[in-house]
Amino acid sequence: MTSPVLSLKNIKKVYVMGESEFWALKGVSFDLYEGEMVALMGPSGSGKSTMMNIIGILDNATEGDYILRGENVSDLDEFDRAEIRNAYIGFIFQSFHLLPRLNLLENVEVPLTYAGYAPRVRRDRALDMLEKVGLADKRRNLPSQISGGQKQRVAVARALAMNPALLLADEPTGNLDTQTGNEIMGLFHKLNDEGVTVLIVTHEAEIAEQTKRSIRLRDGLLETDQVHKQVRPQLQGAQRQEAGLAS
Amino acid sequence: MSELIRKQAQLLPPVNEAEDLEEFIRFEDEPRSGRLSFAEILKIAWRSIRANMLRSILTALGVIIGVAAVVALVSVGNGVRQNVTNRFSSFGTNLLTISSGQGGGGGPPGLVRGGGAQTVTLADAEGIAALADKRISGIAPALQSNSQQIKAGSNNTTATLIGTWPDYETVQNAPLQAGSYFSSDDLDKRRRVAVIGTDVLTELFPDTTASALIGQSIKIANISYDVVGVLKEQATAGFSNPNSNIIIPINTYLQRIERSEYQGEPTVRSIAVHVTDARDVTAVETDLTTLMANLHEKTNSADYDFNVRNQAAQLESVTAVFSTLTLFLGAIAGISLLVGGIGIMNIMLVSVTERTREIGVRKALGAKPRDILSQFLLEAILLSCVGGLIGISIGVIIAYFSTKALSVPLVVSLPSIVLAFAFSAAVGIFFGFYPAQRAAKLDPVDSLRYE
Repeated sequence: MTSPVLSLKNIKKVYVMGESEFWALKGVSFDLYEGEMVALMGPSGSGKSTMMNIIGILDNATEGDYILRGENVSDLDEFDRAEIRNAYIGFIFQSFHLLPRLNLLENVEVPLTYAGYAPRVRRDRALDMLEKVGLADKRRNLPSQISGGQKQRVAVARALAMNPALLLADEPTGNLDTQTGNEIMGLFHKLNDEGVTVLIVTHEAEIAEQTKRSIRLRDGLLETDQVHKQVRPQLQGAQRQEAGLAS
Repeated sequence: MSELIRKQAQLLPPVNEAEDLEEFIRFEDEPRSGRLSFAEILKIAWRSIRANMLRSILTALGVIIGVAAVVALVSVGNGVRQNVTNRFSSFGTNLLTISSGQGGGGGPPGLVRGGGAQTVTLADAEGIAALADKRISGIAPALQSNSQQIKAGSNNTTATLIGTWPDYETVQNAPLQAGSYFSSDDLDKRRRVAVIGTDVLTELFPDTTASALIGQSIKIANISYDVVGVLKEQATAGFSNPNSNIIIPINTYLQRIERSEYQGEPTVRSIAVHVTDARDVTAVETDLTTLMANLHEKTNSADYDFNVRNQAAQLESVTAVFSTLTLFLGAIAGISLLVGGIGIMNIMLVSVTERTREIGVRKALGAKPRDILSQFLLEAILLSCVGGLIGISIGVIIAYFSTKALSVPLVVSLPSIVLAFAFSAAVGIFFGFYPAQRAAKLDPVDSLRYE
């Protein structure tokens, strides 16, 4: 597969506060390919969060093009952004962000509800996803009744529900102890092996090392884009191209 | 964007296991409307109302009280008006009433009284009687007392005394169940005879039938009177009860009841004139006005010190007063409904701030601004409509008991219920819209970060 899942071209983002302008991103370009598992790294103030918001289509870039599955999505209104987010992006947050009043099954159903699937379809699909993360037996529980690691699994199930183009995880292990964090990383690896494209935003080198490729931002610019050693054969072509672009 | 969405739907995910592939195809083939169904929005809204049950009830309380007040007040007001209307209709439309007062103006008699001096006299009634042709079937001047102590043996009660002419029966539609009215002879001779209402009968002679009572004596202001007739039971009306009336000859009344004030030409409260044929009412009204002007020696209609009114005009003015009163009460109650609406808005604004994170999460998962708007708007509408329904039930219950207490008919006015409900729904929409719009406009990035 040669065409990238998403392609960012010279992305710039400016925040205007009164008179002063702050360029959070000063022109960042990179591509993500089907089946990749990438870490997006950088110290605070590097533009990492801004980049994540743009990739997650929560925000528009000031300049530059964002091509998602061959379509330019860089300048959409909130209505279209919501539709694209719903269909293409599976979010996983540091603090899980499950809806507290809904049980686990209903939480996984939320994106399917906004897509307008029939109740039965939603239920079946959500149950499949909960099964995938090993929590089908707790589907009637409320988020407050399960552990942090389990919450993050539910969040993963919810992110997968719409079969997204990209699983976008923001510090997914940040609120978990090391062992539980490793379990979640294990889950990402398993999903990645099944072909799910994963982008993990993290400041932990340990987490980044477990991915196949690290993109590091600094002061709003791409600092390094580095492919790790254990490369899956079917992705070599794409990754080589990517590595060439970065160096 | 639909192009992109379609592509996504067609695209098969790269999966390793065949059975997984099948499952994915099944899911992707399922139809999706691309929008949140109304049932789902309703479910979301209802859940958040239920999650804060006490707060929701307190929020809705403003609307509940407002709607209950509107429904109860309008229903009671209509009941009273209906009652007055019924009373007037029972007299028929053939009645003309002459009363004191400045010509032309003045409110309906019985409601707006006093002020000017009594100018209509017994001599006026006699003057009318002397000139009455066959278009007039009855003339009854009337004087009326405050409550009087009435005794019979060891029993006593209170009653309203009415001094009048025997024509009272025809004129005021007050037939007897036993005995007879006093005669002209009784009138001229100022005999102490009385026609009593049914309530007086049961209070004073609990064990006696009406016909057995004729000839018995009762004491009014310590003077004994012979009972000559008993009135039929009449419908009670508003604040006066015709069943506790005692009717005596007007000359007796003037001598016995009003004797201390008896100086000069005796005045009367009103003169009621009954017209035989309803078609003659207008003509007789004109003639009576001319006659009264002559009797009072007034040439200019602006100087008239009397009023001649027909039933229809009186009914109209009474109805107008009650309608205005009802509207006024309803409007005051409406203000409390408005205050209830502001309460809803207040809580919705708090709720939006409280749930900023939830809104952010929902947006990240694909909620469109209009989905968030509908969720919060529906929550406000649900609160006000459920409040409205509860308010209507409470209002009807209040109306039921208060009309019973006032002994007026229960007129549950459907328009007032529909209006109160529509108004409460409108309050929900109006006061829910701003908070809902605020929620819909929240920036997903900021709201996700909100603590």
